[in-house]
Amino acid sequence: MEPLIELKDLEYSYLYATPALSGISLCIRKGEKIALVGSNGAGKSTLLLTLNGTIRPDKGSIIFQGKPVSYDRTSLRKIRQKIGFVFQDPDVQIIAPTVWQDVAFGPVNLDYTDEQVRQSVTDALHNVGMEGFEKRPPYHLSGGEKKRVAIAGILAMDPEVLVLDEPTSMLDPAGSEDIMDLLDELNLQGKTIIISTHDVELAFTWADRIILMEKGKIIGSGTPEEAFSDKEMIRRARLKTPVLLELFYELKSRGLKTSETLPRTVLDIIRIIEHDHHGTIRLPGNGYGTIHVGDVDKMSGTDVSDILARTSHDSIGVMGSRAKIYARKWGFIPDISYAVIDKCILQAMNGRSSIILTTGRMVTRVFERVTIFNQANDRSIPVRSLTLDNTTDGVPPDAMWLYRTDHF
Amino acid sequence: MIGHDFLEETAHHNALLQVHPFTKLFLGIGSIILVLLTPNYIVPCFLAITLSIIIIVLAKINLKFYLKLLGIPLSFAMLSALVIIFLSEGVTEIWYVQLFPWLTLAATSESLNQGLHIFSRIFGGMCALFFISLTTPMTDLFGIMKKLKIPELFIDLSMIIYRYIFIFMEKASQIFLAQKMRLGYTRPGEAVRSYSMLFGSIFITSWDAGEDLINAMDGRCYNGKHAKITSYNPVEWRTLSAVMIYLFIITGMILWTSG
Repeated sequence: MEPLIELKDLEYSYLYATPALSGISLCIRKGEKIALVGSNGAGKSTLLLTLNGTIRPDKGSIIFQGKPVSYDRTSLRKIRQKIGFVFQDPDVQIIAPTVWQDVAFGPVNLDYTDEQVRQSVTDALHNVGMEGFEKRPPYHLSGGEKKRVAIAGILAMDPEVLVLDEPTSMLDPAGSEDIMDLLDELNLQGKTIIISTHDVELAFTWADRIILMEKGKIIGSGTPEEAFSDKEMIRRARLKTPVLLELFYELKSRGLKTSETLPRTVLDIIRIIEHDHHGTIRLPGNGYGTIHVGDVDKMSGTDVSDILARTSHDSIGVMGSRAKIYARKWGFIPDISYAVIDKCILQAMNGRSSIILTTGRMVTRVFERVTIFNQANDRSIPVRSLTLDNTTDGVPPDAMWLYRTDHF
Repeated sequence: MIGHDFLEETAHHNALLQVHPFTKLFLGIGSIILVLLTPNYIVPCFLAITLSIIIIVLAKINLKFYLKLLGIPLSFAMLSALVIIFLSEGVTEIWYVQLFPWLTLAATSESLNQGLHIFSRIFGGMCALFFISLTTPMTDLFGIMKKLKIPELFIDLSMIIYRYIFIFMEKASQIFLAQKMRLGYTRPGEAVRSYSMLFGSIFITSWDAGEDLINAMDGRCYNGKHAKITSYNPVEWRTLSAVMIYLFIITGMILWTSG
């Protein structure tokens, strides 16, 4: 696949300091989820700032969509529209006195018409689940809400690539999970996402590709499993091995029969222990739990209460920012609000049923994920689509293709 | 501490938030202009009392908070009025005191009148000003400024200033707390040193914030434009006419009392 962004031999140094970047070559493809991981001062932020032309490298070239980036005003505007940059501190990024005005900042400067501005702001706020906050001044918002506004301000310009510098550094754990969930959602909509972080756990489970940095150089890159299994490299980059991998290695060294694939989630490790080690599937007495999936865009609050009342379930999972907003509005307290699909599969394997409330394309994603899991592990966890009339246990039409190869 | 952010906070939660800002500005600014035209203290006092009633009853501002707020300018006004009463000239002496052989403080009925007049003008004017600031958040004023064709540059600058005041105040209070915790303000000399350090670091912070702001704006394709909200609830003619009738009554009172 043709690279979207290509960096070749970048060099950059700040005044009177050791080189911040040296010999950086990197290739970013469309639709990737990339995490730049490194200790403080490894050059992650500097590298990200070169992507949208804020920092001009001393040497080397940046090629975006086949064309080298040039640094005149018009080209810079073009590249900054396509590569959106979200600052670490939302207070730096939020410029305007109200949420609406801030999100509209980009579109207005891109000379959209009034109607287009209104539309793009509405869409962006909808996307990050911040509708109804339009007239609020930013100092009234919580850290997570500010972050969402900052992301909305970038989304309103409809970029192809989202670059986020330490997206979770100022958030509480639940807030971080929400933001990462949102980034997954945006990635599903086709955006390429690049983040920097020093949170290894987060990078390990979220990213498609990890790029390890140390002292302005890229010291390794690959899938999370590859990048984090090289202990020497991890030590050099002043990071640590993710807990899951450590657990895996410890189990392995104690003679646990393991497959070649390294675990990335709790689900993976449970599967390894249950499936590969015991050799048999421990099936609870009542069989697998069912995963029910509902599209809240097509329901009202009372519909959902009806469904919750008549569908037997042990836990409710809410996935995606819009579904979370609805859940809050309707007064449901979700039991699971991040890594929802994995956790529901885990529950189902333990004989418990769950309901996942989500929106749009993520409904299909649940079906996809569970089906793939079923095929790979020879399981038959049932997934059902929640419908209003309760008579049809339907499958959304766009998920039908999955069932042809299915075996339950 | 009554901070400016507390004022804004109150404005964002007042009961007249949904009224069109133009109506509120009309009442506030109209009252200020009329106060300046009053011949004696009767009309300004009437204005101050009625506006306070509007602020407390209609806008539902906490009475205690309002009185505390009003206390700040009024204590200054009181002092200035006292000075005027004793120092300005007049014919009919009411009361006097000889402080030193060469200094006599005397209050005349003319100076008393003048002092009372100035005090009541300040009182009325402050009430009108507080009416605006307690019922109309700054964010609403920016749109009105645009509608009134005030130069964009001025509005943009005030929007950026408004946005950053809160960030700097936050920074300043953090530094102040950190200094106080390390006994920075225990002695007068220490306090002067601590204050100078506080202002120094705020200056550096604002310099940095300026550079960050440029980067943030450039990162979003800044081209000299800032979005403004200009859509409000429609002007209610009933409210607006009530405001007009009120201002007419005040005008009538001014004409009548000036004889």
